[in-house]
Amino acid sequence: MGHDRVLASLNLFAVLQNLEELVKLDPQAAALCADWNVSMSFSVLNGPAAWIEFGNGSCTVKKGWDLKADIALKFVSCRHLNLMFESKRPPIIARGITRLPFLLSKFPQLTKRLEYYLKPDEKLLETDELFRRMNTILTLNTAAFAAVELASYDPVCQHIASAIPQGTVLLKILPDGPAVTLFIKKDGWQAQKGDIENPSAKMLLKDMDIAGAFLNQKLDIFCAIASGDVAISGTVPMLDNLGLILDRIPLYLA
Amino acid sequence: MTAYSHEKSRALFERAAKVIPCGIYGHFSPAPLIPPSDYPFYAESGAGSRFVDVDGNSFIDYMCAYGPMVLGYAHKKVDAAAAKEHKKGSCLSAPAPVMVELAEYLVDLVFGMDWAFFAKNGNDVTTYAVMVARAATGRKKVVAIKGGYHGVAPWTQGLGHHGVLEEDCGHILRIAWNDFDAFASLVEKHPGQIAAFIASPYHHPVYADNQYPAPGYWQKVQKLCNQKGIVLIVDDIRCGFRLNMAGSHVFFGFEPDLVCFCKAIANGYPISALMGKGALLTDAAKVFYTGSYWFSSAPMAAALATLAELKRINGPELMLAFGEKLCKGLAETAKSHGYDLKVSGAPSMPYLRITDDPSQMLHQKWCGLCTSMGAYFTSHHNWFVSTAHNETDLTDTLKIADRAFEMLKKEKR
Ligand SMILES: Cc1ncc(COP(=O)(O)O)c(C=O)c1O
Repeated sequence: MGHDRVLASLNLFAVLQNLEELVKLDPQAAALCADWNVSMSFSVLNGPAAWIEFGNGSCTVKKGWDLKADIALKFVSCRHLNLMFESKRPPIIARGITRLPFLLSKFPQLTKRLEYYLKPDEKLLETDELFRRMNTILTLNTAAFAAVELASYDPVCQHIASAIPQGTVLLKILPDGPAVTLFIKKDGWQAQKGDIENPSAKMLLKDMDIAGAFLNQKLDIFCAIASGDVAISGTVPMLDNLGLILDRIPLYLA
Repeated sequence: MTAYSHEKSRALFERAAKVIPCGIYGHFSPAPLIPPSDYPFYAESGAGSRFVDVDGNSFIDYMCAYGPMVLGYAHKKVDAAAAKEHKKGSCLSAPAPVMVELAEYLVDLVFGMDWAFFAKNGNDVTTYAVMVARAATGRKKVVAIKGGYHGVAPWTQGLGHHGVLEEDCGHILRIAWNDFDAFASLVEKHPGQIAAFIASPYHHPVYADNQYPAPGYWQKVQKLCNQKGIVLIVDDIRCGFRLNMAGSHVFFGFEPDLVCFCKAIANGYPISALMGKGALLTDAAKVFYTGSYWFSSAPMAAALATLAELKRINGPELMLAFGEKLCKGLAETAKSHGYDLKVSGAPSMPYLRITDDPSQMLHQKWCGLCTSMGAYFTSHHNWFVSTAHNETDLTDTLKIADRAFEMLKKEKR
């Protein structure tokens, strides 16, 4: 699978889903979309598709098509979609042209806010605890959903995934979350926000700072495990292999 | 029995983390020791079957330095032989006579092998073996086993591991252990392209039950290799001299072309060996391969002393017998507490696993508890016994295991 195909999946299914948390946790984002009542679909010709729904101050992101979305954005190729994510090319508006003002000014404010957390300013990351917390939560979710896409579409990750035992992996930030769970099955992986009882393997990150360092590729994980900052247990080969997959995220979402 | 504490180990590790990648890297990394808080990180000294950590805690050692310790730590005969050689000068500008002596000794000892080449680590000789096979056949591809470990050179590692290129493992074809048909179909699919088949004498992966060869497996592999001009390499680095002094291929009844030895060969002194059939001698000679310390004579003297002593006391038989008693005792202890402890692999290097919890968390807890009371067990890797393990060790170990199962049960309640 080519770079653009993988990146398109990551953009649609690992990056966009963060809008759900963003709207929930970031007051500025919440205020922006408090009265939005609109659904939008993103679809690539012969490629992946996702849709977003805003209503009652919350946001839901789903995989697949919604034929009745108020706004339908189409892309001729994965590259086209990826360029839109970099604000370098506009989408084709197949439906909802009357919502142009929303598309041109309101929605981008929200995605800018997402970018603010996901492409963090290093200084802010160091000095602002709240900012760091948001970055960590969103990066944790991105990592879990990205792993699913990489295991399906990145050739190296497909190879790694073929050797992973089946079961569930819990990644959790202590003391009480957030957490993500990965369901690893031969016929496909799934990610889910939240905790699970009796996972096959778990990785518990001591606090937000350790989790942030881990997720931003700034942690010597072997040291962290030995010193107790990260606790692993269960079917460790799942974690070893998942780690290799997570390490490939920056090749796409740098 | 009170649990050990590890203040000095942890203080050292904190310093290490600042100046050494991983703090402690590779197979000694504490990362798979779960939970790490139950394990010592730094050792102070060893004698016989036990080692003492920097905090003064003593352990009956069932990892034996991950294999090299085979006669017991601080073994007088081996240490004296090494010291004597070292005093003469271990690293001079030409090799010492002991190199020839050791090669001759090994050629006499190991069945079917006509020459020996020395290096330091297991990885040195598995990589050399593959190069020799490629040189001899003019072919590129190497068939290996999924989950088989042959070291850390890029060709031994999988795609996706850091620092490893697609090209590094592009010619390594991995198949499941004991699947002769998979090997036969690869041979058919890549006619005239397979240089070697490499595997350990039996399958000893980490985190999974170990598996002996199915009846006839090695014999069929050998036959096909011989027919198709494929070099049959046995990686006897872990099993070597723990199953049979003449090589583990004798234990399983087949004849390889190349055999790799390391771990148990010199009771902890750094040396490894590739041995081969006469037909491959000139090909081996053509491959340029060497290292700064590969001619050090003290480890060679240590190897001679170790092998002679292992042979004199019939080391493999002693270790197999002790391992048998250990595993039986542990399985019975487990059963008395309502747990099922499954044993696999050779008793001299057994892999144990509590089957009641497929996630292995229970097993990890039990191994951690045992270690924290003085029986050094890892949960991810096969264990090793040595000829120094004795009845006192066995009794003490079973007591510790019993207590650990009791604690495990209490915790569940
Ligand atoms: C079967 C086997 N082959 C090769 C090696 C690599 O040996 P070394 O770590 O000395 O390079 C090992 C080490 O554990 C091993 O067990």
